[in-house]
Amino acid sequence: MDSSKKTINVKVNGESYEVSIKPKMTLLQLLRNELGLTGTKQACMDNSCGACTVIVNKMAVKACSVLAMQVNGKEVTTVEGLASKDGKLSILQEAFLEHSAFQCGFCSPGKLMSSTAMLDELENPTEEDIRRDMEGNLCRCTGYVQYLEAIKSVVQKRKEGKI
Amino acid sequence: MNERSVVGKPLPRVDGKAKLTGRAKFTTDVMLPGMLHAKLLRSPLPHAKIRSIDTSKAEKLPGVVAVITGKDTWGIRYGFVDTPNYPAEERPIAEDKVRFIGETVAAVAAIDPDTAEDALDLIDVDYDPLPPVFDPEEAMKDGAPQIHGEITRNTSCAWEDWGVARKSHSYTPVNNVAARVLVTYGDVEKGFAEAEYVREDRSRSPGTSHMAMEPHTMVASWDPFEQKLDVWMNHMAWELKRYWLHKTLDIPIPKIRIHKTYIGGGFGGKAPCFDYEVICAFLSRKLCKPIKIELTREEVFSSCRNSHRFDINIKTGVKKDGTIVAQHCSVIVDAGAYKCSAPVAMFLSHAMCDPCLDRKNVRHEGVAVYTNKNFNFARRGHGAPQMRLAADAQYDQICEDLGLDPVEFLIKNLRKKGDVIPNGDRLDSYGLPEAIKKSAEAIKWKEKRGKQRDKNRGVGIGINGMFSGSGYWPFASTAIVRLNHDGTITLMEGDCEFGQGPDTTYCQIAAEALGLTVEDVTLVSSDSELCPMNYSNFLSGGMFVGGGAVYNAAMDLREKLLRVASEVMRAKPEDIELKDKKAFLKSNPKRSYTFTELMRYHIQKHLGDPLIGHGYKKAVPEIEFYPSLSKGTGRFTDAYGFTASTAEVEVDRETGRIRVLKIVVAEDSGFEINTAICKGQLVSQAVQGMSDALFEEIMDDEGRVLNPNLVDYEIPRAFDIPEIEVIDCSDFEPKGPWGAKEIGECARAAVISAVVNAVYDATGVRVMRVPITPERMFNALKAQEKK
Repeated sequence: MDSSKKTINVKVNGESYEVSIKPKMTLLQLLRNELGLTGTKQACMDNSCGACTVIVNKMAVKACSVLAMQVNGKEVTTVEGLASKDGKLSILQEAFLEHSAFQCGFCSPGKLMSSTAMLDELENPTEEDIRRDMEGNLCRCTGYVQYLEAIKSVVQKRKEGKI
Repeated sequence: MNERSVVGKPLPRVDGKAKLTGRAKFTTDVMLPGMLHAKLLRSPLPHAKIRSIDTSKAEKLPGVVAVITGKDTWGIRYGFVDTPNYPAEERPIAEDKVRFIGETVAAVAAIDPDTAEDALDLIDVDYDPLPPVFDPEEAMKDGAPQIHGEITRNTSCAWEDWGVARKSHSYTPVNNVAARVLVTYGDVEKGFAEAEYVREDRSRSPGTSHMAMEPHTMVASWDPFEQKLDVWMNHMAWELKRYWLHKTLDIPIPKIRIHKTYIGGGFGGKAPCFDYEVICAFLSRKLCKPIKIELTREEVFSSCRNSHRFDINIKTGVKKDGTIVAQHCSVIVDAGAYKCSAPVAMFLSHAMCDPCLDRKNVRHEGVAVYTNKNFNFARRGHGAPQMRLAADAQYDQICEDLGLDPVEFLIKNLRKKGDVIPNGDRLDSYGLPEAIKKSAEAIKWKEKRGKQRDKNRGVGIGINGMFSGSGYWPFASTAIVRLNHDGTITLMEGDCEFGQGPDTTYCQIAAEALGLTVEDVTLVSSDSELCPMNYSNFLSGGMFVGGGAVYNAAMDLREKLLRVASEVMRAKPEDIELKDKKAFLKSNPKRSYTFTELMRYHIQKHLGDPLIGHGYKKAVPEIEFYPSLSKGTGRFTDAYGFTASTAEVEVDRETGRIRVLKIVVAEDSGFEINTAICKGQLVSQAVQGMSDALFEEIMDDEGRVLNPNLVDYEIPRAFDIPEIEVIDCSDFEPKGPWGAKEIGECARAAVISAVVNAVYDATGVRVMRVPITPERMFNALKAQEKK
């Protein structure tokens, strides 16, 4: 084995992995190139666009700016882990579909992960809370309006006790 | 079929589940066994001769598989405009000269991207710097450095392949002029003589980035046994990309397959042929290995196409009541190092204006000029945003000068539905009048215009017209609709999904025609081997042309089904209806046959024909080739979309910061096939237009892009988004599928003008240069105070 490599243990979308990696590998490279989880996207590589957002131990992080070494022993959720294995979308994914909250879809995985973490953290986020969370995720297609509507619809359903 | 059950509804997108679960495959997600990665060495100088390139050290780096330079690709030419008069001059790798910072001078293929990147540092290029020129007006002067020598006829162009008798010829640009356009109609001198007020203004729109979220990427895989190239790439028209790969690398068209991938945003920025695409395919064939090239965000900004900088001089003559009697527009297009679509852009800046208002006597002259900068292409509107800003800002000022109301000014100068405009295009649908009225009402124009300056608030209006596709190789879109065993259908159509929704809307169009649901449609799209000939869905040719082909194919199958049902049921076809995978008698719905039964019957009784629908559509049936770009004559499109936009802004006089409070987009895109997708297209353009007005500009210094990243090149984030109201002012388009026409490009230009004019209303200061950054606003306000 390459002596410069380190072994990490990480749980991704509920599955445990033991991976041997170069220390400089980013979490994004680990997910895409080593684990084949290409749902997480690379768009800027300088922490400015949010397309690579994933959840690490309940916190939304930009995977291009986190070293794979840093997730040793942690739990990572990617867009592939949102829907159930038998094909049922999460409530937020359903809302994105219903509100046409995406177009090209390249930034959608990052948005979904960021908003999922926000909705897990805040029971009843205000529009201000939602927009603040959305700030980290650039989108060129949608103009954010239907994306905002989708998240608000989930909050509204919560208020009505529907979910 | 009077009641619409599938079209006109906000149905969920068919690409949704794939895109929201991470399963949607984009080019960047394609990973093939044994795949190598290539990186490109970019020129650090804006203008220089290449004396020599030493690649020996790079070749020796472990992991490097090949290094290529211009010597390997010498003589290969391509270009977006490649006509007898304007032969192509772009090349995949610089040969003996570089013309802009960021031009490719060598490429390295290696076992991984890091190794390829490291190898770039080991390539020694010996440059002999030449004097550069960056400003188009400087470049046109006598004695300016000449960027191109003779542009030789190298590849035979699409025109020749399609039967144009004229051969392309070599030419040498004089004073860096890449192309000229002159469109005239009426009598401009007489018009100005009759004018009671004449105003002349200058405006500038800068180069901007399309900034699609997915950076440009390509994977090519050459099969040496089949002599075949498999390709996954960022594109907006595979038919064009395949044609360019065929021409540049001399591979037969059927031996190139562009596979379907989802495209992470386009906005025009992925339509032309790129250096890295030819290089990727070249390396794959040379090495018989799959090659991937993923550009960095910096390369996208500095070395891929941006929008054109336009400097416009506009002179308009009006009567005192605001009737336009003459207009003279002179546009200078900063082409950059290669002409790409510059000849088209300056023609389109006229062509998009012409359907909006009747200006009676018009002279539109344009010149595209080579400079030592990265070069440019269409961005969402292609010439219209730049021209509309010049015109609409001037109209706003004319109204101020003459004491007229800008909304009434626009209404006074409107064309009429049914008008034939000077090039011969007829406005069968024309929702602009209603759009102007409704957008004004929605912003409370009468209550607010000119009445809020004490609060530093103002409202403004802008308009635009946009073609629904135009004559362009390969001219036709085609579609096939197969009837399946269970009565569902399989739709095969080539348009690509880059976010604007054709996968969904085309399924709706076909389902409606056959009484089916979207779930009954299996879609095969955007694959060059599985789909029939495809005109493409950039240049707003999607819905009207591609969607039109789908409509015609589905109607073809409908007619066949009705015919066989009439035979089986012994009834007239017009007495039969199709619904729920059945044909039934309108008068007695219980008397029915399933599509499955009809298919079985037809196979048995009609020589095995399983019922396949086939349809096609040509953007402009009356013209064989392209309209004349240099003279602007000839039919151009069969339907125009229209937008009127209004905006309200608030200006902070202390900081110059402008806050947009509300944007209204009133749109005539014909019948809306999917109302949620249409809303998405309009909101998208409202935000992009606002951003053009206030944020976006490619900044450069001595040819170097200063803001090639998403921190320094600001695009709107969630907190920047104002209230946006979208109003459907659709006028049914008789030639469109179910009455639809384009929606993807028109609104952006109207929004830019609306915001800029609102800034004037708020401040009394006219800024004719976008973006109106806080600094520009602040300086303009200070200049006003000094007066």
